[in-house]
Amino acid sequence: MRAFLAILACCVATSLVRAENHVTWEITPPVCGPGQPFRLQVRIESDDVLGPANQVGKEIKPPRGMALRFSGQVFRANATEATLNFSGVAPEEEGTYVLPAFNARFPSQMVVVPAITLIVSSKTGYRKEGRARAELVLPDRTFYVGEKIAGSVVMRGSEQETVTGTFGLECEAEGFNFQTEGSSFTQPLQDGHGLTKTFELTPIRAGQGEFNLSGIMLVNTGDRISSLSTSGRDRPFNFRRKLSVEHVPETGRPADWGGSIGKLEATPPDLSNRFPEVGEPIKLKLTLVGEGNLERIVAPEIPGTDSWDITLASELRQRRSEGRRTFIYTLVPRLPGDQKTPAVRFATFNPDSKKFESVEFISVAVKVSGNAPAKVELVTMDPSAKIGTPAAKTITGLLTPTVAAGAKGVAKIEPLAASQPFWLSNSAALVALLLATLVISVVGYFAAHPEILVRRRARLALRRYRTAAQEAQRRQDYAAYARAITQGLRAGAAPLLQAEPLALTQSDILRALPSANLTLLTAVFLAADGAKYGAKDAAQAIAEDAQLQAMLNTLEAQL
Amino acid sequence: MSRFLTLLGLCFWGVTAPLRAGVGEAAYERGDYVEALQTWRAQAEQNGVTAELLAAIGNAEWKLGHKGRAMVCWERALLLSPRNPVALAGIKHAQGAGGTDRPTQTWSENYAAFLGADLWLILGALGFWGTLLAVLVPKLRRQAMGDWTQRVLITSATLFALSIPGLYGAYTLASRAVVRRTEVAVKLTPTVLGEALNGTAEGDVLRTGRKLNGHTFVTSADGKGGWVKSTELEPIWGGGLPANLDQMQAP
Repeated sequence: MRAFLAILACCVATSLVRAENHVTWEITPPVCGPGQPFRLQVRIESDDVLGPANQVGKEIKPPRGMALRFSGQVFRANATEATLNFSGVAPEEEGTYVLPAFNARFPSQMVVVPAITLIVSSKTGYRKEGRARAELVLPDRTFYVGEKIAGSVVMRGSEQETVTGTFGLECEAEGFNFQTEGSSFTQPLQDGHGLTKTFELTPIRAGQGEFNLSGIMLVNTGDRISSLSTSGRDRPFNFRRKLSVEHVPETGRPADWGGSIGKLEATPPDLSNRFPEVGEPIKLKLTLVGEGNLERIVAPEIPGTDSWDITLASELRQRRSEGRRTFIYTLVPRLPGDQKTPAVRFATFNPDSKKFESVEFISVAVKVSGNAPAKVELVTMDPSAKIGTPAAKTITGLLTPTVAAGAKGVAKIEPLAASQPFWLSNSAALVALLLATLVISVVGYFAAHPEILVRRRARLALRRYRTAAQEAQRRQDYAAYARAITQGLRAGAAPLLQAEPLALTQSDILRALPSANLTLLTAVFLAADGAKYGAKDAAQAIAEDAQLQAMLNTLEAQL
Repeated sequence: MSRFLTLLGLCFWGVTAPLRAGVGEAAYERGDYVEALQTWRAQAEQNGVTAELLAAIGNAEWKLGHKGRAMVCWERALLLSPRNPVALAGIKHAQGAGGTDRPTQTWSENYAAFLGADLWLILGALGFWGTLLAVLVPKLRRQAMGDWTQRVLITSATLFALSIPGLYGAYTLASRAVVRRTEVAVKLTPTVLGEALNGTAEGDVLRTGRKLNGHTFVTSADGKGGWVKSTELEPIWGGGLPANLDQMQAP
């Protein structure tokens, strides 16, 4: 049991033991002159194996004006110590600068490097004239969104230190587009002791922004290492600058401005053929040169004229470093004779003068041969007007009104078609006219056909006498019955025989009614006229009432 | 007594001053379009509107930026006098410089504009009655048609036939209205929340059709149809001076 507890206590004790790291640093020289290069060495001693450090350079945030770069690490395999080397350049101003604490990340652990203090003093006797140094060349003015800012880093050497190369150019700038021509594109200075690295900066939004540019130049110190090589070292540089960006002013901005910013010039136009024929296309090449955002320029539009049909053919985009931009247009002459290509004006904004300027491509004289097409009136006021007729004078604008004093007008402009009395009176007149026409037509018709009325009257009389006969039969008034029957027969037969009713006898009735019983007719007529002629008893006639009624019906049907 | 006479004289001067000849023209000439408009409006309210007065008011309204009112005045001036030069120039200017749209007149409308709607209707009525009486009277009198009757018949029938396209053109010309609001949506349906097909602007002249649910079916100058709120239009026929759309309607 005691042995077990001892083993457990050992395990707990080993787990509670923490590995301790010991970090020291050294700056050479300890006190730097302004702009003097220095070396920083950070030594880390640990209880564990450290190995190679990762991303040390990205952890460091040097103070403003100081350039510092992680140069490398000296370590041995399975060693518990590591040495981190940095190279730097002291700031230009005197003072005490504190490099904030940063982390050194090793595979096994992360070691915190405490803050490091750098003292800069001009009393050190350091003379930077003889040392290699880097300078940022960038215009000190307000920049404009979209313009191309040409900048450079000039790395000047001396007889003691010559700059042999540069690498690792990095830019941190929000709101800017940073471009270089490639790491190999560096130009030597005229004295041969330095290099120039150019870059382009394009603001993409307005406002204040910080521009941070860092890099490393390779410096040859002239110290001879061997008979074949001399010693060299890398020396970092770092620039920080606040840049002010605005939009191109709207005041005075021409309508045809296409985003061009810079100091541009127009070269003389280049024409492919100065003696074309009518309808033969020729190429007009317009080239802009100068400093500016040439690649962002929109090709200017050239409208066609009476003499030329113009289209944009193509563009030639040179490399940025060439500083030129070419637009090629196709021109087709429409008319023969001595012509001139249209002059092209181009608006650009000069960031130095802060004003818009006009660049003009001059006209080129062209002699066009051939024949003109058939005469066509290009512009006529009236498309349907014949060629040659003078155009009618057109009214343009408002005319000066004249108002007659005291002229009586109308309170409301109502059409006559909306007038109710107009339509009522016309309708009434039309109805009256139609009615009169109808009446007169009817009257005229009956006047032309009188038999219609005669028969109608005979029919009415026949019915009336039939009714009277029926009344007399009900009263047993035999004489009246016979009279009514005979009058009915006479009234019914008269229109058929075209005779007067009173003039008809029973034989006349027989002509109108051939199927009638003559004996019965004679008896009825005798009974009707019995008072005058001593007729028989009319009671016999009543007994034959059915036959008599049938005769009346037959006559009525014939009317 | 003298004070009374002075006041009476001032009142008379005040009443008749705007109606004096040339006051409106003078104000218009010197660019005081508000005074010119007030003068002419007072004259129109007192004596009624004439073609010249409406055309003048249209010019003043146009100068003051009231495109809709100006177009109404000019169109109504043409109803009274189809060849009024001031109104014709104003409409042409509005279509050109002002950007207003106006339906292209058909041949029957151009024909109708030659004489005016009322004159066409009178001529049509005369032709109709002449033709009718020339046919009916001899029949009613049961007489053969005489020479004069035949001349009257031919003349009246010709007059009636010639008036038919004029009457049709006058009818279609009367079916137009002027947009009085600045931005008016032409909708697919005659409803408040109808889908807007396109828009029309103040001063545009539209052909109008049937009315439904407080909306009027209109056809624009480019032939597109749709529904527009009736309150946003002012018909060309049926008024004197342009309506005041800002004034609240009586309950």
